[in-house]
Amino acid sequence: MITDKNDAFELSFDPETGIATLALAMAGRVNKVDEIFARGLDAGVDWAKARAGLKGVILTSAHKNFCVGADIDGLVPLRDAERTLTWVAGLNRVFRKLETMGVPVACALVGSALGGGYEVALACHHRVALDSPKVQIGLPEVSLGVIPGAGGTQRLPRLVGIQKALEHITMGQPVRAAKAYKLGLVEALAPTREAVVAAARQWILDHPRKTRQAWDEKGYVFPAPAPDSEDARNIFMAATAMIFKKTVGTMPQVEAVVSAMQEGIGLTFDRALEVENRHFVRCAISDQSKDMIRTFWYFRNAAMKADGLPSAETHGFKKVGILGAGMMGAGLAFICAQRGLEVVLKDIVAAQLEAGEAHCVAEANGKKHLDAGARQAILDRITYSLDVADLAGCDLVIEAVLESDTVKHAVTREIEPLLAAGGVWASNTSAIPITHLATAAAHPDRFIGLHFFSPVEKMPLLEIIRGELTSDLTIGRAVRFAQDLGKIPVLVNDGYGFFTSRVFATYLMEAVQMVAEGHDPVLIEWAARRAGMVVPPLKVYDEVTLRLGLKAVEQAERYTGVSHADAPAIKLLHELVDEHGRIGKIAKAGFYDYAGKERRLWPGLGALVGDARPAHTGVDVIADRLMLIQVAEVARCLEEGILREKRDAEIASIFGIGFAPSSGGPLAWIDRRGVARVVEQLTALAAEHGPRFTPPRVLVDMAARGERFFAA
Amino acid sequence: MGDAYIYDAVRTPRGKGRSSGSLYTVRPVELLATALRALRDRNGLDTTQVDDVVAGCVTQTADQGGCIARYAALTAGYDLDCAGLTLNRFCGSGLEAINHAGAMVASGYADLIVAGGVESMSRVKMGSDGGAVWDPAVQWQIGSVPQGVSADLLAMLFGITREQVDAFALRSQQRATAAREAGHFARSIVPVRDDNGHLLLDHDELIRPDTTAEGLAALKPAFEMLGKTFGMDELTRREYPQVESIDHIHHAGNSSGIVDGAAAVLVGSREKGRELGLTPRARIRGVGISGEEPMLMLTGPIPSTRKALKKASMSISDVDLIEVNEAFAAVPLAFMQEYDLDPERVNVDGGAIAMGHPLGATGAVLLSTVLGALERRDLTTGLVTLCIGGGMGIATIIERV
Repeated sequence: MITDKNDAFELSFDPETGIATLALAMAGRVNKVDEIFARGLDAGVDWAKARAGLKGVILTSAHKNFCVGADIDGLVPLRDAERTLTWVAGLNRVFRKLETMGVPVACALVGSALGGGYEVALACHHRVALDSPKVQIGLPEVSLGVIPGAGGTQRLPRLVGIQKALEHITMGQPVRAAKAYKLGLVEALAPTREAVVAAARQWILDHPRKTRQAWDEKGYVFPAPAPDSEDARNIFMAATAMIFKKTVGTMPQVEAVVSAMQEGIGLTFDRALEVENRHFVRCAISDQSKDMIRTFWYFRNAAMKADGLPSAETHGFKKVGILGAGMMGAGLAFICAQRGLEVVLKDIVAAQLEAGEAHCVAEANGKKHLDAGARQAILDRITYSLDVADLAGCDLVIEAVLESDTVKHAVTREIEPLLAAGGVWASNTSAIPITHLATAAAHPDRFIGLHFFSPVEKMPLLEIIRGELTSDLTIGRAVRFAQDLGKIPVLVNDGYGFFTSRVFATYLMEAVQMVAEGHDPVLIEWAARRAGMVVPPLKVYDEVTLRLGLKAVEQAERYTGVSHADAPAIKLLHELVDEHGRIGKIAKAGFYDYAGKERRLWPGLGALVGDARPAHTGVDVIADRLMLIQVAEVARCLEEGILREKRDAEIASIFGIGFAPSSGGPLAWIDRRGVARVVEQLTALAAEHGPRFTPPRVLVDMAARGERFFAA
Repeated sequence: MGDAYIYDAVRTPRGKGRSSGSLYTVRPVELLATALRALRDRNGLDTTQVDDVVAGCVTQTADQGGCIARYAALTAGYDLDCAGLTLNRFCGSGLEAINHAGAMVASGYADLIVAGGVESMSRVKMGSDGGAVWDPAVQWQIGSVPQGVSADLLAMLFGITREQVDAFALRSQQRATAAREAGHFARSIVPVRDDNGHLLLDHDELIRPDTTAEGLAALKPAFEMLGKTFGMDELTRREYPQVESIDHIHHAGNSSGIVDGAAAVLVGSREKGRELGLTPRARIRGVGISGEEPMLMLTGPIPSTRKALKKASMSISDVDLIEVNEAFAAVPLAFMQEYDLDPERVNVDGGAIAMGHPLGATGAVLLSTVLGALERRDLTTGLVTLCIGGGMGIATIIERV
């Protein structure tokens, strides 16, 4: 065995088989695609070619994962089109060199291969992956505002066909190894790292003449449908429509994937790479990719790791009590049980409890990757109870009872004494100040706000609220708990509505306000989506119900002392609820009418607002108001110390309330529009519509100093 | 600038545009040649005097590829000196060929041109020539939806209902049936025969005389799935954000039929006509071509007509009879609404809903239809107008002489 190494690879050559192995072993524990990687691969290919009797090459990794993608740190500073092109074209040349080196090249994916890491695998002639649910494979680039830049949009369709490649890359969701095999992203699976490498070796020995990619062979036939065929055209047409329906033009990188693929697949391979480069460069140097990378990569990773938050060794919760078996309570019970916790789901109404149980059973049955035994095991951990006594000894109680301080105080007094020693009490209130709720508690240091979002099985955020007396240890344990549940913890300080509810309320209320002013509701909903908001406001209103919305407004008045009773929006809501019985989706009548799966805005809204017509309207006018009212509130939360840091503004807004993901978050939104321009627009809106638009001090000061939230 | 005269207009019957259609076995070049021969023979035309054969053809691929006009002229036995030009302005192609011929003649660049068009939709599938409209980059930048979705959107914007489009379709069938029975098309139709003289088709075979209002009402919207399930409706919101949801009302019974057919019109100067002893039937008074928002695309007849009227120094009330292509029922309905027209002046012998829309030929077919109707009723002025893909529109005003 001859061995050598360079900065990225451990190199070895077995003269007996004639097989060289290039094992990625970059400094640290993670292999990533950067300059060192490119130089190392280039040199590794040269080294292998220099071995006498070379019969084939295995590309693999000495680290746990194969390679998890591009070095994001290297991607961030790219702003210059020419320089970005030089880098990505150079990388592609090395990949081309690998796949045209003249011997069979097999890739042994002993761990996850993502983004550029999977693209280098695509530049091999054969792929074997470790058959483990922990192994993730695929091209997630679009989630960071970019597209695959090392041949992914060209090699994948040539390997698995247009339809699968389009779906995979535009979704940006990596898949487990087994699914990757099913889709054809890898050609074989093996049970252990050693077996993966052995299978790669065997493939080389069995295919001595497989020295080229299929697309470099004469007479290569594209997997059906062929480029520019009628079927292919229809796939692209359908894809553009589906993507627009989902993203309404806010995700240029997803559009670029479709364009790069459609334009490239009919071309010779090397020139097709140029087309991909072009689209990659455009996305990579864009503001949107920078903003998305900051939030979806750096901030999200830091938040997941709870950087800067009080920490605890473990949360130490074994038995968890959930009060209230509604959607939220039942969902919480299920996800806790799923994580192996013993759960008591408690309600005071038998029917409600039964509905909660039915919800849990349905959730368990939906876990198709688990066998019946594993599903039952989850359900067996949940006790459904009407009896307070069953809560005795809980290490954590999360109350999800009625949104009323009286009720919450009462259950706290009744049940807190049943907690195990050192047990934590959590309220899932979405708005009531935790410090106020904690006044009923014997141990306010172990009293905390855990604001989960609905549906809790899916929503990724946990807003943790620190009451005045909440201890660091309690926070640390709550943070651990969030991590254990796979939720992103964001810690905020106490205040009515905390952060997310407060900002979300401005969004919803502004929309209703505009309806009352006579803006076309159809335009309002569309403008929200065009601005990138995940859910349009009136639709949300119908889902949470208008009645609940009104209650929240009354509650807000109680706690903040600010009354909105005279606001046209509130009057409109009252009219809808009190006079027309339009409570929301649950009554099949709210802002929308509901018939089957169809939903259309209620035509009667026009008559309700009478002759009111705004001085100016349109998608842009409306979108600006919906966004500016939110970003102003976010800035206020920052100013008032509700938010601890900028990261939390972005993470909580995007993952909690569906703030435009394309923006990277409200602060990035302000930066992109320009702080001074935002202040100017807010000032004008305040003059026209009132002080809710008054620009917060923090923004005015920043504008004066020419500052922005994040470096350009 | 001189005037351009229309000396004659012929067309083949329209065959069903599918493999069961009577013209399916006829090569498109032969279909066009049939019209060219008839025009020559019944006018005793010396084809050495014809400067060019200009034919509209939309799907220029497979056996409609290349420059089919040149090969049709050769196939028809026209003089070698007579050239050929095939042009594509989508559904406006047949009329564009006539307007082009008119412009060449009026300018003095040419003296005599045969203009027309051909489309064998049974043999060359619509859209099979690809094109930029399929390019995702174009979609992202400009946006485009299938025409049926545009038609339903047009109806939404003009407040046109399912009942109205179905009633219009029924009338198209009734008028076409009556026209065929009365022999209104006899002067323009040229039977299509095979190489041995065996008759293949001598009448428009798509007409359904038994069409009923109930039958039409029972038909399912054709573009609902594309619109709703495939998300095409949502694409229109880029330009029409105020349209929350599109009611899909067009179906096979109130949209233009897919057919095979060809047409040819003889356009020349007064002098050349005199020289050849030809009698003009009409004169071109004005033409208009327009472009508007391409997603809606079907409003083109409105602005193109406005332009043509302006060129002719006319108002719409000066026009006796109008042919608005029945691409979808909403198109003529929107046109009539815009110009506040009496339906008795529009598409008096039925239209493409009943008889079909052979894309590249239709403009020339409609010219022969309106000319025949004017002559029969002894009226003077006729307008032909069509909506065109990509948001365009075309119009031509003729006047009998």
